[in-house]
Amino acid sequence: MNVLEVRGATKTYDVGKTLVGAGRTLHALRGIDLAVRKGETLGLVGESGCGKSTLARLILGIEGPTSGNVTLAGKPVGGYGRLERAKLVQPVFQDPYSSLNPRMRIARIVAAPIEVRGIGTASSRRERVRAVMNAVGLPEHFTEVYPSQLSGGQRQRVAIARALVGEPEILVCDEPTSALDVSVQSQILNLLARLKRELGLTLILISHNLAVVHHLADRVAVMYLGRIVEHGPTEAIFGAPRHPYTAALLASVLSPRPGARLPEMRVGAEFPSPLAPPPGCAFHPRCPCAGEGCATIDPDETRDGPRGYRCHYPLAHA
Amino acid sequence: MTGPLLEVRGLKVEIAVPGGMTRPVRGVDFSVAAGETLAIVGESGCGKSLTSLAIMGLLPRAARLAAETIALKGLSLIGLSESGWRRLRGERIAMIFQDPMTALDPCYRIGDQMAEVLRQHRPVSAEAARQRALELLTRVGISSPEQRLTQFPHQLSGGLRQRVMIAMALLCEPELIIADEPTTALDVTIQAQILHLLAEIQRDTGIGLILISHDLGVVAGVAHRIAVMYGGEIVEIGERDAILGRPLHPYTEGLMHSIPVPGETRRGETLGFIPGTVPRQTGELTRCGFLERCPYATGRSAAGPVPLREAADGRLVRCVLPLDGSGRDPAAWTRQAEGV
Ligand SMILES: Nc1ncnc2c1ncn2[C@@H]1O[C@H](COP(=O)(O)OP(=O)(O)OP(=O)(O)O)[C@@H](O)[C@H]1O
Ligand SMILES: Nc1ncnc2c1ncn2[C@@H]1O[C@H](COP(=O)(O)OP(=O)(O)OP(=O)(O)O)[C@@H](O)[C@H]1O
Ligand SMILES: [Mg+2]
Ligand SMILES: [Mg+2]
Repeated sequence: MNVLEVRGATKTYDVGKTLVGAGRTLHALRGIDLAVRKGETLGLVGESGCGKSTLARLILGIEGPTSGNVTLAGKPVGGYGRLERAKLVQPVFQDPYSSLNPRMRIARIVAAPIEVRGIGTASSRRERVRAVMNAVGLPEHFTEVYPSQLSGGQRQRVAIARALVGEPEILVCDEPTSALDVSVQSQILNLLARLKRELGLTLILISHNLAVVHHLADRVAVMYLGRIVEHGPTEAIFGAPRHPYTAALLASVLSPRPGARLPEMRVGAEFPSPLAPPPGCAFHPRCPCAGEGCATIDPDETRDGPRGYRCHYPLAHA
Repeated sequence: MTGPLLEVRGLKVEIAVPGGMTRPVRGVDFSVAAGETLAIVGESGCGKSLTSLAIMGLLPRAARLAAETIALKGLSLIGLSESGWRRLRGERIAMIFQDPMTALDPCYRIGDQMAEVLRQHRPVSAEAARQRALELLTRVGISSPEQRLTQFPHQLSGGLRQRVMIAMALLCEPELIIADEPTTALDVTIQAQILHLLAEIQRDTGIGLILISHDLGVVAGVAHRIAVMYGGEIVEIGERDAILGRPLHPYTEGLMHSIPVPGETRRGETLGFIPGTVPRQTGELTRCGFLERCPYATGRSAAGPVPLREAADGRLVRCVLPLDGSGRDPAAWTRQAEGV
């Protein structure tokens, strides 16, 4: 069963509007289709500005799509009340420093989602907070401290505990480890892997770190300028990318092993403006494989078993 | 035989904080040769930036510097006057920061900023300065450079701004460039391009480069030598492939085991991690600074401060029982209780 479905979702923003001048339209999402099964981890990757966080906000119901629809458990996100929605989907954001209220003790921060929904009694809530803090590896004596007394990794655990306390179906993690050192990142990745295994949690994992996505995701969707240009099972995408942009992203993964060389980058440097998306395939100005038609004809999705891509000249693999 | 380009010995930085003195840099020694890239890696707060700021004479006011030697081609930089620093900075040592927006003036056009830097150090005409700026923007791979000269920093993308920073650093043909997390704020695709650019410039010009990063992947492709810092000290320093391939200090090994590597680590497998956090120590170290977090620590680790010692392959390691690449048990990094 799909717990999350996105159909033809677009999102535009009016920007640069002044008292006298007309504004311009920024195309943040240009038609997103997505289905996520219960218990699945979907990795969302792509360059800065491609629309990952915007898509996350639509899934969380923080904003509505300009057109198209987003459904959670079979019902449009907009059809849920705020508290109902919070029971289904919860966010974990990048910055564990600004996302926690500095004046609240950890126990209250973690309990907030079930407190506002009035779930259980005060003592059952305390019990639940204890259980969830234990599950994310926070010692019990942390209940009475303030966020400023915790390390970055501990704060991110608090953010995850708060997201989990109401037992949501879906966790949307937007760059959950980008602000953390590698030795702390690995603890958060271990934690997410365990929660996924033990609780059957559905995870939307947004990261520009492809190694992180490879490690946790069952499926990957690669975004470029507001579109999903390729998606499929993680091993298939990493092993044999069909879209030249996916290949370029994968080539940019830096290995810390001896003898690692700098990757050869064969794509241009400039991400196009979402104010004026290039015609045809939006990637064609940077694409090393671009040929006839790429500058004029927007490629439809080609399906290939469990995967799909939008490209006129997909990469071949033996 | 000529001496090193940059020589640093016994570099210490102390900062007064409420209730005492912190010692974020505790006696760091290294040198950089012309044409060499030395990478400094380590977790947040280990003292990487303060080390580089000390070399640039840019430490915050509250900080106190002590060092036996900081010398650029034999010229001592200790106690240099402010005007001495101004002549040196930009001219002989240049710095590239993580966030170019903090180093670029938002109110001035790119061309004017570049010309100003050049004319601080060289008696050149406005037109000559413009030509030099154009030459360098082209050199760092910026297309239509004439147009860029007239733009303001905020009109450029992050990747372009970082290229402008690199072009500015090269203006006066410095002998040493210090790049502090030059690609941390950039996309992975642009990161790879900027690293290529730095490596290429270094090959062509033979400058010395200090590359500071918390990311071992970033340094693996660029560095000749790597210094691993922990708690204000260098705990391991040596040739790149030796350090990455066979870490001798447990901290370095712990870092290597924390990173998922597609194609090597199994998907979803438990990754290694370094338990705990860097303890904040104010006084002199009386024992190994990594002891509390080290799965291999023994009684000897607590016996006294640990000096840097030379290992068989010539690298330096600060450990009483350095790893020997065999026999030890790297699974120690994943087995520890998941406590915090
Ligand atoms: N509220 C808003 N108003 C105007 N433009 C917006 C708004 N939110 C996002 N955008 C624009 O929409 C585009 C997509 O932004 P988004 O934050 O979703 O990208 P992202 O993929 O998350 O990038 P990053 O990797 O940098 O986080 C960008 O061009 C951004 O500037
Ligand atoms: N102005 C200051 N006053 C007090 N403490 C400071 C000051 N600047 C730095 N420190 C402390 O000194 C230590 C080393 O800081 P430094 O900026 O060199 O770390 P770093 O290795 O560059 O870390 P990062 O990877 O986060 O940039 C840190 O613990 C930091 O909190
Ligand atoms: Mg984002
Ligand atoms: Mg720093």
